[in-house]
Amino acid sequence: MSTNTASSSAGSGDPSTARKNSKRPKYSKFTQQELPACKPILTPGWVISTFLIVSVVFIPLGVISLFASQDVVEIVDRYDNDCIPAPARTNKVAFIQGASPKACNRTLTVTKRMKQPIYVYYQLENFYQNHRRYVKSRSDSQLRSPKYENQISACKPEDDAGGQPIVPCGLIAWSLFNDTYTLSRNNTPLAVNKKGIAWKSDKEHKFGNRVFPKNFQKGNLTGGATLKSDIPLSEQEDLIVWMRTAALPTFRKLYGKIETDLENGDTIHVTLQNNYNTYSFSGKKKLVLSTTSWLGGKNDFLGIAYLTVGGICFFLALAFTIMYLVKPRRLGDPSYLSWNRNPGGR
Amino acid sequence: MDKPPPHESISSRWSVSSVDKEVTFGDLGDLGSKRIRHGSAGADSEMLSMSQKEIKDEDARLVYINDPERTNETFDFTGNSIKTAKYSVFTFLPRNLFEQFHRVAYVYFLCIAVLNQLPQLAVFGRGASIMPLAFVLLVSAIKDAYEDFRRHRSDRVENNRLALVFEDGEFREKQWKYIRVGEVIKVVSNQTLPCDMVLLATSDPTGVVYVQTTNLDGESNLKTRYAKQETLQKATDLETFDGFIKCEKPNRNIYGFQANMEIDGRRLSLGPSNIILRGCELKNTEWALGVVVYAGSETKAMLNNSGAPSKRSRLETRMNLEIILLSLFLIVLCTTAAATAAVWLRQHRNDLDTILFYRRKDYSVRPEGKNYHYYGWGWEIFFTFFMAVIVYQIMIPISLYISMELVRIGQAYFMTRDDLMYDESSNSSFQCRALNINEDLGQIKYLFSDKTGTLTDNKMEFQCACIGGVDYSDREPAESEQAGYSVEVDGVILKPKMRVRVDPELLKLTRNGKATEEAKRANEFFLSLAACNTIVPIVTNTSDPNVKLVDYQGESPDEQALVYAAAAYGFLLIERTSGHIVINVRGEMQRFNVLGLHEFDSDRKRMSVILGCPDMSVKLYVKGADSSMFGVMDHESYGDVIEATKNQLHAYSSDGLRTLVVGMRKLNDTEFEQWHSSFEAASTALIGRAGLLRKVAGNIETNLRIVGATAIEDKLQRGVPEAIESLRIAGIKVWVLTGDKQETAISIGFSSRLLTRNMRQIVINSNSLASCRRSLEEANDSIASDDDESVALIIDGTSLIYVLDNDLEDVLFQVACKSSAVLCCRVAPFQKAGIVALVKNRTSDMTLAIGDGANDVSMIQMADVGVGISGQEGRQAVMASDFAMGQFRFLVPLLLVHGHWNYQRMGYMILYNFYRNAVFVLILFWYVLFTCYTLTTAITEWSSVLYSVVYTSFPTIVIGILDKNLGRRILLNHPQLYGVGQRGEGYSTTLFWYMMFDTVWQSAVIFFIPLFAYWGSTIDTSSLGDLWTIAAVVVVNLHLAMDVIRWNWIAHAAIWGSIVAACICVIVIDVIPTLPGYWAIFEVAKTWMFWFCLLAIVVTSLLPRFAIKFLVEYYRPSDVRIAREVEKLRTFSESQTMGTEMNQIQDPARR
Repeated sequence: MSTNTASSSAGSGDPSTARKNSKRPKYSKFTQQELPACKPILTPGWVISTFLIVSVVFIPLGVISLFASQDVVEIVDRYDNDCIPAPARTNKVAFIQGASPKACNRTLTVTKRMKQPIYVYYQLENFYQNHRRYVKSRSDSQLRSPKYENQISACKPEDDAGGQPIVPCGLIAWSLFNDTYTLSRNNTPLAVNKKGIAWKSDKEHKFGNRVFPKNFQKGNLTGGATLKSDIPLSEQEDLIVWMRTAALPTFRKLYGKIETDLENGDTIHVTLQNNYNTYSFSGKKKLVLSTTSWLGGKNDFLGIAYLTVGGICFFLALAFTIMYLVKPRRLGDPSYLSWNRNPGGR
Repeated sequence: MDKPPPHESISSRWSVSSVDKEVTFGDLGDLGSKRIRHGSAGADSEMLSMSQKEIKDEDARLVYINDPERTNETFDFTGNSIKTAKYSVFTFLPRNLFEQFHRVAYVYFLCIAVLNQLPQLAVFGRGASIMPLAFVLLVSAIKDAYEDFRRHRSDRVENNRLALVFEDGEFREKQWKYIRVGEVIKVVSNQTLPCDMVLLATSDPTGVVYVQTTNLDGESNLKTRYAKQETLQKATDLETFDGFIKCEKPNRNIYGFQANMEIDGRRLSLGPSNIILRGCELKNTEWALGVVVYAGSETKAMLNNSGAPSKRSRLETRMNLEIILLSLFLIVLCTTAAATAAVWLRQHRNDLDTILFYRRKDYSVRPEGKNYHYYGWGWEIFFTFFMAVIVYQIMIPISLYISMELVRIGQAYFMTRDDLMYDESSNSSFQCRALNINEDLGQIKYLFSDKTGTLTDNKMEFQCACIGGVDYSDREPAESEQAGYSVEVDGVILKPKMRVRVDPELLKLTRNGKATEEAKRANEFFLSLAACNTIVPIVTNTSDPNVKLVDYQGESPDEQALVYAAAAYGFLLIERTSGHIVINVRGEMQRFNVLGLHEFDSDRKRMSVILGCPDMSVKLYVKGADSSMFGVMDHESYGDVIEATKNQLHAYSSDGLRTLVVGMRKLNDTEFEQWHSSFEAASTALIGRAGLLRKVAGNIETNLRIVGATAIEDKLQRGVPEAIESLRIAGIKVWVLTGDKQETAISIGFSSRLLTRNMRQIVINSNSLASCRRSLEEANDSIASDDDESVALIIDGTSLIYVLDNDLEDVLFQVACKSSAVLCCRVAPFQKAGIVALVKNRTSDMTLAIGDGANDVSMIQMADVGVGISGQEGRQAVMASDFAMGQFRFLVPLLLVHGHWNYQRMGYMILYNFYRNAVFVLILFWYVLFTCYTLTTAITEWSSVLYSVVYTSFPTIVIGILDKNLGRRILLNHPQLYGVGQRGEGYSTTLFWYMMFDTVWQSAVIFFIPLFAYWGSTIDTSSLGDLWTIAAVVVVNLHLAMDVIRWNWIAHAAIWGSIVAACICVIVIDVIPTLPGYWAIFEVAKTWMFWFCLLAIVVTSLLPRFAIKFLVEYYRPSDVRIAREVEKLRTFSESQTMGTEMNQIQDPARR
């Protein structure tokens, strides 16, 4: 009787309205959630091979990273302290802000042959170029085009001088690094090429070639270097480099490139102008001459990290293999199911 | 009247949710709320009788018949145009926003965005800070707008339908939207009612109309409504029709209506049987005239258009605890940032003016300088704190709420599309009415099930008859190809639509006519079955013009079964009007006048008709539940028969059959006259009509001669025993709550495998508080003593009265918890909710209630998850439910498969969302330690905003919708796997902490590897930020990839696609020349260092997780893991395991 009732109640008394259209969902693998799928599971074989592969890849990578780092020859000379005459060292801030001559001579010895190009960096430490007040104090549109010269709202407190907009405005530009280095090798001047130290993209698109410095460093407090007002910003490479704010409080900025090789035993004399005030926040200043490798500068960290991870993976692969051999579990053995382990108990 | 067990008398079905059909069977009827009755016989509900107590003027609306101007003069009643759409073009924006901001998460979002607008706190640019909120609001708004657009469209279609309205002396077509209250409209057969109207006249001389209320409550059988006799004639001349109706204000009770009509100074009372509602369809009636009383949005159908109930999922509630933990983390992070900043500022307080990167003073204003952007030490710390809150805001994963919603919609889509849950017989697929508790389906521990219509089909089959104490229960074999009974009338063959298997002996007996005493009694028996009911026969044509089918429409399946049975034995009910019935008795047409009809009510638990027979005698036929019938029998004359019948009934109900007893009495003239006058008086009474009618019925229904008893089988639905068994293996405690008698309930319990032979039955059947307490405590002790035995608790409604709302609840709960099955019989509807509440209040375990009738509504709403069966019994249960489906057995795929999946997916998704946001926040936090404790982010603000919206959100949603930890087959074959959800293994505080440790490790690796690798190099902020962004996105997505179980093409596309999308976004951001990071990604990606860092980060950060995951899965495997291995490696055949499992619980069903 059952099938009859069903249809009769649906059509009750008026067969014409009987619904013939089935609402049965259309069958598809998608709607039934039966799409073909790969369902990997972590078997000991897979896991051990994964670890082996990782260690096989990582250990060589670590070794070549270390070699790359070892290949780099680097001369680092910290001068912030030494370049202050001994009597002035009790109040370095007063000295650096004063008018006394700031010239300072340093001598560096090349201990290993350095192939060109040799990069000249200045390294600042404890200088927070990523400080929130600092990074925000710039106007990128002003740098691009003279049209936006007046977009200085973000640049406080270096936004205008006597009502005239400062170009380039903001704390970053204002604090442009202004120590200078003059290098000589064995008493012959050593050319430092200051062209091409900034990113090409910055020179071409970010800093306008029609934007000229205006009212720069005219305020009551001078933060750093001045800029020649007849050179467009796109050519002011020191500024461009500086404006790429460093990510970390210890950083290097490219000062220039030496395009000759330096030989082992060469003596480099550096005459520097120690103008830049890092003393108020105990920042360090270092001069760095360094070659580079394909992996960058001298830093063993990555190589060690790769070796460590590779080593751990190798150890894990070994350990898992032993565990697997000593105490294997048959995969998919239903006797491990909780209701089979203690029957009856729930 | 009728059918008790079958319950479902008309009245109960029409009653409001508190009424239980099943109750009518038990003794507890009087506990249920008053039922509302309807019917031509005039009985109106108690509610109606109240109407006579004057509807207060301020609570009433006055409708002048056929005079819409006057009706609408003082109050402009709502017109008939409907508007289900929520918004108009102008109100969309404000209203939609207002509604969206009801969500706390959005308010948090908004607060952060507002904070960010303060100049001192402006961490992000304006655009970046508002974007996420705007995005989310926009997506929801588009969704709402689209839904609303569709509503507008359907409104328009609805409003422009045409109806016949009486205007200027004739009926004219008018669009629905212009129909006004007070107008008279004419509806013809098969038309849908445009509004709620009080019937004035119909094509039937007695004023009957038949309506189908499918649109309103889903019931497809015909219901009868009546026009008042007084208006019938008057309506022929509408022009002069003068009168008014005073009715209650619009309300949503579709089963109640009270009003008075005044015509020509006479007052009539109107009840629910005099009104037909918008959405009903007129059937089997040529036309009906009515006056509009409620129109448009005030119609009962519209007032009932409410959405699904809103519940909160357990997982989401649990999750709030972790959200609080995360808030604490957030506060810790912000406090750390603020405190370290404070220390730094204090240490350098003398140098702040001139520090190159701080420059507190602006010297351009005056030489001594003026502070700029500096508000003093205290304020700076304060601002730092709030800036930190803004920067770290996504620690509270706002996007999680949106993801969860999307995932649930996706899961709901797959549930409704599931082939396994499509019910062929009712052509209904699964419905997901509540969208926010999908994952609760995976954690159910208690299942409360109604019996009739839920476990059983509610399709009644006549099985046995006991006539004069003699049992006739042999049936012809099912396969016999006998054509069934048919009769030829005027050259046309009439056949009942459904065939019933007959007892050959009994058939022979009835064919013998009145030859013997036995045959006489048999004839009497079937005549009473054919006559004593409210079934409406409908003769339908078949393809063969000479054959017509008689279809019996009625509200009670029991009555249908009885009438079909009578027809099979030659008593074919052919016609019913309010005044007479025609029964074809083996070819001979007999006409009986229906002199009176006492409808079924729950107090009497019986119905009766008074028939004027062709031989001019007047006979009373009564049919009802045994409990109520034996009390009104004439025991003196028929004591033996009654005893024999009682024994027979006991045997029937032990077999799980539903029984009814039929009695009759000849009325002599005086009795009839007496009855007639009191019946007339009662049915025209203005006050307390229902009570009076009940009394009249009670007076006449006495001293009956027993005719016989019937037994009807309520067949189990397909797959119920297997389903119950699966659920039991899955660790779900199944409680069956039924209104049936204890014997019936127990036998159904056996056939549905709820009870098994090796269970000890504890039956609690008490009549007082004390005895109830005693038996419960004994039961408790006896279970405590030996716990190996499985126990079934059987408790009846009377005992439950003493238990519920009493300290005994605790004892009952303890006993019930230790029992493997609980069966409650003779339960009233309100008790059902009470039992659910008893469990719900005492454990944190999830409860699920499943039912199909109005009587289950309270239980469905009380339980954590309510499931409605969209079956035979109307739609109230479905309307109140969270999920609706066609068959009980669909619970198995719903819980074991979809519930399991949904729970696992949602649990994982929540944890993963916590993780991915926390990783990012921690990377930002580590950086702050190297920026002089100021909230600089190396990662661009756009990337921080897009991170949780674009870079990583899509895969979690896809995986949350699609990933399956196990296949459907294995989940169904091993119901024990459901325990994962019950034990809460997919989401727990422990998992949260593991996840958090992993988060700290991963974020540290992502942050510090580049930090050390680039320390003292020329790296700039943007380049390093890009490296961190890409590393975080890759790690987070690979982390997800590691946990994905099924890699189909969608998962591949989502995961790899989102990494690619993130890279594209980073590149796009870096080609904007006005951002400081211009071209950084290209410059940094040129270097080997970048790729070496990335590789080292990815491997190192995921290494511990990978190793630990493997160790745990290999040496401490979870059930799911083993099952996955089984699935993948097929290490043993499915049948083998099933075999062992079955043995533990196998017990052949009794029947």
